[in-house]
Amino acid sequence: MTTAAEFVAVSRHFGDFTAVDGLDLTIREGELTTLLGPSGCGKTTSLRMLAGYLAPSEGQIWIGGEDVTRTPPEKRGLGMVFQSYALFPHMSVADNVGYGLKLRKVPRAERARRVAEALELVGLGHLADRRPKALSGGQQQRVALARAIVIRPRLLLLDEPLSNLDARLRVQMREEIRRIQAEAGLTVVLVTHDQEEALEMSDRMVVMNGGRVMQEGPPDELFPAPANRFVAEFLGYENFLELPGRGLVTVRPELLELRGEHLEAAGHGTAPATAVPATVTSIAYRGVELRVALDAVDATGATVPLIASVRRDAIDSRDLPALLPGGRVTVGADPGHLVRLSA
Amino acid sequence: MKRSSPIAVTLAFLGYVVMIVPILFVVATAFTDGDALTFPPEGLSLRWFEAAISYEPFTRALVSSLQLALISTVLALGIGIPATLAIMRGRLPGKSVVEGLFLSPLILPELVVGLALFQQFMIHLEMDNFRTLLIGHTAILLPYTVRVTGASLALADPALEDAARGLGASAWRSFWTVTLPVLRPGIISAALLSFVTSFNNVPISLLLQSRDFRTLPVTMLDYVQQNYTPIVAAMSTLLLAGTVVLAFAAERILGFARIFGGINR
Ligand SMILES: Nc1ncnc2c1ncn2[C@@H]1O[C@H](COP(=O)(O)OP(=O)(O)O)[C@@H](O)[C@H]1O
Ligand SMILES: [Mg+2]
Repeated sequence: MTTAAEFVAVSRHFGDFTAVDGLDLTIREGELTTLLGPSGCGKTTSLRMLAGYLAPSEGQIWIGGEDVTRTPPEKRGLGMVFQSYALFPHMSVADNVGYGLKLRKVPRAERARRVAEALELVGLGHLADRRPKALSGGQQQRVALARAIVIRPRLLLLDEPLSNLDARLRVQMREEIRRIQAEAGLTVVLVTHDQEEALEMSDRMVVMNGGRVMQEGPPDELFPAPANRFVAEFLGYENFLELPGRGLVTVRPELLELRGEHLEAAGHGTAPATAVPATVTSIAYRGVELRVALDAVDATGATVPLIASVRRDAIDSRDLPALLPGGRVTVGADPGHLVRLSA
Repeated sequence: MKRSSPIAVTLAFLGYVVMIVPILFVVATAFTDGDALTFPPEGLSLRWFEAAISYEPFTRALVSSLQLALISTVLALGIGIPATLAIMRGRLPGKSVVEGLFLSPLILPELVVGLALFQQFMIHLEMDNFRTLLIGHTAILLPYTVRVTGASLALADPALEDAARGLGASAWRSFWTVTLPVLRPGIISAALLSFVTSFNNVPISLLLQSRDFRTLPVTMLDYVQQNYTPIVAAMSTLLLAGTVVLAFAAERILGFARIFGGINR
């Protein structure tokens, strides 16, 4: 696997505030890497340092085996799609897309061909003569994408590209971006705060918090094994408790088992080695599922809130009284379903 | 469209009446055939227009005023636009001090500016009055250019320049191909406003006038103090016509909403 770009111990301070704190990160050629994290964790700052708009306070940035830490943006040969799209309002769609080629002194005929090609790739061939303001948000974004890829960038950088689109278009564009990446053979760095987007689109995801990398890896390795409580919470895990001899663990709601008197009698699974007593606090019906909120007492004696998701048809009707608020049950899980966390 | 309240309509109407009616009186008197500046005009003729355009002090002053307005507008834009960019996009320390410096002539009485220039530049440095006038006019125009282009820049997306840089444009190239075109309506409105402000200025021009270089408003003011003929009304009417043509052309080229909105969207 070739390295396309690298952050080496990169930090960025704004006054006393450290926005990015010792970032070490490798972007691999041909992959889509996402920087995932809550708002303010330093994603945009990192991307802007990679693009050359912001100088690192410490550390180096390498692109294609070359130290570009002090190279201005126009000499880095990257394509970037901004959150606001930043289309030039005084130029037609075709002139926007052709801007980078013109600067590269690509002859007119070839330029027209490549612009048309790029607009085809994003499905906007018919809008070449329009002004950007005459396009919808989704179309503007495709123009921004075409403008960035037409110069055959070494890296394509996308800062929250989908956050300004409505929900349906957003899901559709995830696939679209993947398709374009594959067709154009691009290396992509995508910034997002949406874990679903990251899980669905990434080859590698990098979870950030407070300017540091919390965990990185392919989604299918990272999702089942979050390294710490922050990553687990950010990926949507809800249940955190200390168990004797196991430390802090988390379990997905649908893998938590509830035991009332009759559930046990009905022989639902073996008695877990890791059972704790709990009191039901509230219940919500969601289709065939029942979401049960509980207060459990964990190994440290602390009361921790838990959420269990139970199929209604898996509950013995004689146990229903125990599943009312105030009802006392036992909560457990198959030890194989417990995920250990470092903190 | 929302229907305006009768009160608002009445007020707007009254406003127009108060502004326009006195001007109409001037225009009407310019067409008189008589020798006095009276209303209603006695008879109808164009003879005072002829008199106005062949009255040498007026024509000379008109050329002077146009020269002064044009050059000081160019200077004010040439200094004001880079200053605005530096204030708003740059990283210079003490931004607000610099901004205050550029906006301060707006609140200083123009007579004081004029007097200061008179003492320092004309008396001490023995600079000629045209150059001193240029300095004075440029100084009073700067706040307009900084304000108007600044408003336009504030509305423009800063990411536009980043986008241009990322696509391979040097800072200079991105300024010429992106920043400046995006600011164009703001710059045009700043230019119009500056030109008109300089052309109409009396206080500074009054203090810095000389026998060989006089602006039109000052010349006309002098004239009315001594004579009371319709030639002044005729000259005013010509100026009004010129202004209307200019405004009309601007409207056709850009549209007022865009000029005074100042942003190319
Ligand atoms: N130019 C700046 N000056 C001061 N603070 C900044 C600047 N840019 C970003 N920050 C701060 O750095 C932190 C990270 O910002 P950013 O990288 O934009 O976060 P994200 O993109 O992950 O939401 C934020 O707390 C932000 O307020
Ligand atoms: Mg951001």
